[in-house]
Amino acid sequence: MISSDVIRGYNDTIILYLLLNEASYGYEISKNIKELSDEKYIIKETTLYSAFNRLMKNGYIESFFKEETHGKRRKYYRITQAGIDYYREKCTEWELTKEVINRFVREELINGNNH
Amino acid sequence: METIINYLENMFATLPKTKQMNSLKEDLLANMEDKYNELKRNGKTENEAIGIVISEFGNIDELVKEFGIKLEEKKEQLPMLTDDQVNKYLEANKKMSKVIGIGVFLCIIGAAVLILMIQLSEDGLLTGLTGDAGAIIGLVPLLVLVALGVGLMIYSGTTMERFKYIEDDFELPTYLKKSIENKMEAFHPTYTLSTILGVVLCILSPIALFMAVAFNNYSILLGVVILLLIVSIAVYIFIYFGSIYTGYKKLLKIDEYARVNKENNKVINAVAAVIWPLAVAIFLISGMVYHQWHINWIVFPITGLLFAMFSGAYNALNEKD
Repeated sequence: MISSDVIRGYNDTIILYLLLNEASYGYEISKNIKELSDEKYIIKETTLYSAFNRLMKNGYIESFFKEETHGKRRKYYRITQAGIDYYREKCTEWELTKEVINRFVREELINGNNH
Repeated sequence: METIINYLENMFATLPKTKQMNSLKEDLLANMEDKYNELKRNGKTENEAIGIVISEFGNIDELVKEFGIKLEEKKEQLPMLTDDQVNKYLEANKKMSKVIGIGVFLCIIGAAVLILMIQLSEDGLLTGLTGDAGAIIGLVPLLVLVALGVGLMIYSGTTMERFKYIEDDFELPTYLKKSIENKMEAFHPTYTLSTILGVVLCILSPIALFMAVAFNNYSILLGVVILLLIVSIAVYIFIYFGSIYTGYKKLLKIDEYARVNKENNKVINAVAAVIWPLAVAIFLISGMVYHQWHINWIVFPITGLLFAMFSGAYNALNEKD
């Protein structure tokens, strides 16, 4: 399980990634995060909705309502052009972060059981 | 699902009830409901599903920070009483109920002694004293007993001063409230019984007077003395058990101690502070100057009755629906 402290700066990236191809709603996004991370990261409700609020405020995503087949109205989120640009920025930032942090990782000290 | 809704309501209880917060709450609920339904579909039990949904909720502070919610309302939060404060108050209240009860008892006994002295000197049992002299000598024990009684009341008043916070607004943790309610419930039969005993004593007390009248060789004043003795015992019972009961009511803020009734109590207390000393003054003057000892004690039941009528009417008129 990943600590929420470490991943905090990348919740936005994760959510934007999941919205790149199609619009989605709260539970679907959190379920996809859980599945794609092999259940190593389960996003908390409060974290998810804090991120939605932040992303909307910055204009990276927008919300709309969609009728489900059985008549239930659901709030969906869709990525904007600004969101795509921001996502690209964050990916570049991560490449750099990864490269830098990797220089401070001593491979031979990592306990293989933790992987 | 009920549990999850309640949990969410609790989480939002301290947050301002704005449109934004309501819509956020709805979003969160929809999300939690989706998760709950899927867990149930995958064969989880009700409890397991609720447990997982709640454990994955997160921390409400995160939302507070993100939405920049100002929790100004939080400042108005009332002080929370602890077990220790409540137990110490109940203990002191019980002890001081006894002290006040004895104080009032002594004051009434003082009046009884005064009348007794008058009777004794009228009967010529106090050598060489006339009725008036007896009245004056009777004043000495009256004053001593009243001083003692008032001293006890002041002592209990200053002791209870430490628990002033009980008079102010406060909150009780739920478990503590429950425990006080249980204690009050347990005390209720004792309280009812003591009230009945007190009322029966009061109703029966004039018998002493009738007896004194019926057997002509006994003086009516002796009857009054016995009546006062019985009444003083009844009053002690009323005060002792009544104050203990009042202690619970104050803690639970019910009846006359409910928040809305506080203002009314102030007025009623102010009237009481005037009317009762006035009754004592009438009692003493009518006795000392007009020699009405056989009947003037009636000012006390009359005052009590009028006062009860006043406070009842006052509360009824000021009641806000």
